[in-house]
Amino acid sequence: MRMNMADETALVAQLATGDRAAFDCVYRKHNASMLRMCEGMIRNRATSEEIVQDTWIAVLKGIGGFEGRSSLAGWIFAILVNKARSRVQRDGRMISFDGEGEDDGLAAAFDGRGRWKDMPDLWETLTPDRIIEGRNIMVHVLAAIDALPTAQRSVLILRGQQDLEPAEVCSILNITEGNMRVLLHRARLSVRKSLDTLLAGKRL
Amino acid sequence: MLSCKEVAERASALIDRELGMFDLLQMRLHLAMCKGCDAFIRQMRTTRDLTAAVPVADDERSDEVDGRITAILAQLHDGKQTGH
Repeated sequence: MRMNMADETALVAQLATGDRAAFDCVYRKHNASMLRMCEGMIRNRATSEEIVQDTWIAVLKGIGGFEGRSSLAGWIFAILVNKARSRVQRDGRMISFDGEGEDDGLAAAFDGRGRWKDMPDLWETLTPDRIIEGRNIMVHVLAAIDALPTAQRSVLILRGQQDLEPAEVCSILNITEGNMRVLLHRARLSVRKSLDTLLAGKRL
Repeated sequence: MLSCKEVAERASALIDRELGMFDLLQMRLHLAMCKGCDAFIRQMRTTRDLTAAVPVADDERSDEVDGRITAILAQLHDGKQTGH
């Protein structure tokens, strides 16, 4: 997902001249993730679409001031999160990404001595071939990500999908690196559980 | 000796290669002897790879995406005109 520096510098320069092809490329690459991320914070599709659209306009207006101190994706997502934060504050609420009260969903899997109550399966039906063929697996994974609490979902999108550097993710969400790792771990645990339920329910 | 619960807690650190040498050895020792935890770590790897691999880009040439891009550019242009 990450671009090398030279490519990114060229792309930013093209964006600054108002090049439609360059914008097309950046838009297609990030728009869907931005929308998923925003919906995780706002929980309203129409409002999220509006905020993402505003973000793109701010990106194009501000691209001349982009200095490459973060990645382009990191810069775009920072604008998005700031816009979502302001919108939520305007409604008298707050967004926090510390993940407080977000459970890891695994505590019940162990007995009092920390051993598995039920041994995890090998997921033998989930082979690489199946993954490529099985669009339904991908649909299921996306649905599991959408069901995550805000903080976990945000970290999974930024770190696990957009592949931003840890420092960028922490700065955008205003969390510590330790916190980010815990949230990423919990997010994976939830998606794992959901996949496990799917695979146990119907052998593919 | 780590418990299975402790292994599960360190699963992401293991697959993201963030464990120190001592923790790594402890994990390997446990995994060599525990089929359940070994399966769990494999599941977590698959989960990490799947979440990274789900398509997140609008790759298809659709009129709908083109329309949205045109709308943003038009709005940007309007904004510039009113701004001057």
